[in-house]
Amino acid sequence: MTALLSLALKQLLRHRLRTVLTVLGVASGMFLFTSVETLQSSLGAATEETAADTTLVVYRENRFCPATSRLPEHYQDEIRRMPGVREVIPIQIIVNNCGASLDVITFRGVPEGMLRKFAPEIEIIAGDDAEWTRRDDGALLGEQFAKRRGLKPGDKFDAVGITVHVAGIIRSPFAQDNNVAYVKLPFLQQASRTGLGVVTQFNVRVHRSADLKPVAAAIDARFKSDQLPTNTKPEKAFFAETAGQLIELIGFTRWLGIGAVIAVVALVANAILLMVRSRVKENAVLRTLGYPARAIMFLVVSEGGLLGLAGGVFGAGLAWGFLRWQSFTMGSEGHTLAILPEISTAIFASVAALVLGVIASIHPALVAIRQPIVKSLRS
Amino acid sequence: MISCKSISKSYRKGANVVTPLENLNLEVPRGEFLALMGPSGSGKTTLLNLISGIDTPSSGTLVIDGQNIADFSRKQLTKWRSQKVGYIFQLYHLIPVLTAFENVELPLLITSLSRAERRAKVEEALDLVGLMDRSHHTPAELSGGQEQRVAIARALVADPPLLVADEPTGDLDRESANSILSLLQSLSGECGKTIVMVTHDARAAAAAHRTLHLEKGVLLSEDPNLARA
Repeated sequence: MTALLSLALKQLLRHRLRTVLTVLGVASGMFLFTSVETLQSSLGAATEETAADTTLVVYRENRFCPATSRLPEHYQDEIRRMPGVREVIPIQIIVNNCGASLDVITFRGVPEGMLRKFAPEIEIIAGDDAEWTRRDDGALLGEQFAKRRGLKPGDKFDAVGITVHVAGIIRSPFAQDNNVAYVKLPFLQQASRTGLGVVTQFNVRVHRSADLKPVAAAIDARFKSDQLPTNTKPEKAFFAETAGQLIELIGFTRWLGIGAVIAVVALVANAILLMVRSRVKENAVLRTLGYPARAIMFLVVSEGGLLGLAGGVFGAGLAWGFLRWQSFTMGSEGHTLAILPEISTAIFASVAALVLGVIASIHPALVAIRQPIVKSLRS
Repeated sequence: MISCKSISKSYRKGANVVTPLENLNLEVPRGEFLALMGPSGSGKTTLLNLISGIDTPSSGTLVIDGQNIADFSRKQLTKWRSQKVGYIFQLYHLIPVLTAFENVELPLLITSLSRAERRAKVEEALDLVGLMDRSHHTPAELSGGQEQRVAIARALVADPPLLVADEPTGDLDRESANSILSLLQSLSGECGKTIVMVTHDARAAAAAHRTLHLEKGVLLSEDPNLARA
């Protein structure tokens, strides 16, 4: 078996041009497939609720985007007193683009000292916590945000008419935190001319995932008759609602992934069929030498599988590296969808390419063994 | 070694039935070097294909080394070929992307031999045909005579008792042809291989122990003139 696999590998390596072209074709398909799968899994992670989710977003009812959600900051005290609530943080959000965008810049204004209390999991990986405390215009940038913009501590950053000083870079297990710039709430309220005492939303942490729905209902009930009623949802459901169009668009990309898979199968099948046709005599000679049909099939299928695997590893690896390097995010209404490639997706795509290569080679392999030896030798 | 009794082969070609061999009887003792001659379409290659087990007779018995291969299934024939027959083609049919060593190694890849055992056997076969120094050359880097020697080494490497050769010198110059014929003679004489060779060339046939003539699918006597009389 190993000897035959080695023979198949030699055939591929020594028909270099054909192999390189086929591998490039497969790699292109698997690049697309991996990118689509990454989009899908990132979307899944951002919108599918899990037992570990404990965050609610309180927004103004009938809002369109962060600019139209204006809630009084004092709601914070009433929300904090409600049963099941662990922590509340008022947030002012300013975005460069309210609709769906690939390059969204989001400022989140939070009260000084509350950020670490609300999200203790945030870790400062560069810069200084003291610098953020000391400067009014200090900003803590999410890791992906800083990477995408090429920013480091000490830099000045200007967007949406707001200029901030990069005090530090933060890392969080939550993708949302890694794609925004945290600034002090009063600074953002003044810089954006929203006015002191007004915020966009409240993020509420509850004790347990099971508390999400009752606490959300309680908050909305409390402010229902107020001048500014609220609409409270789990963070992921909130994102799923605000980014409806984005989700539809990403849902459509699944067809692109299916198209990529079909293209890979057709490409490998075509390459292997051409190979089989060009090697009718070679296969007849092998059968004359006593190669059983299963050995010929194994050789043909191995070549298809190896082509698929090589293209899969190359394409999926390239997509993984590219998406990781580019740190793309999609944003909608101040919430960001970080397109985070996972190594498991790249491995899945590589294995899928191997399987597709094998499947695509079955028909050519059958063609290779069905032709009578004498007829093949005469061809 | 080879005993053909009332062997016939026929196949359909369009609406017609073609019978390239009809009621043929042939005995070839072990170690004999037999040449088959005849005009094109006389059935000599068909007979060679039957003897080598890459084709099956329509009727008759074909006993080789005590086994009637006419009754073998396709699977049995495949296994039998890998152990009992070495086939030498007119156009060598080496795999162009493989080196001489790798081409000769091909029949051994489907055996249970270890890599070291395979290497030893391939080197022995290449040494026998005098091409050890060319083992890492591809067919494109070899002359026609050298390619045919590699093909003979490939036919020999699994040590089959029977070698069949379809016009092995048909594509070679006189000097290379003589060298190949000498090699076949020594394989028959010194190694005890039974060789059945199809040829158009009377000088090539002269190297064999015996020459038989085929015409229109019928075996003539060793002297075709006598048979016609």
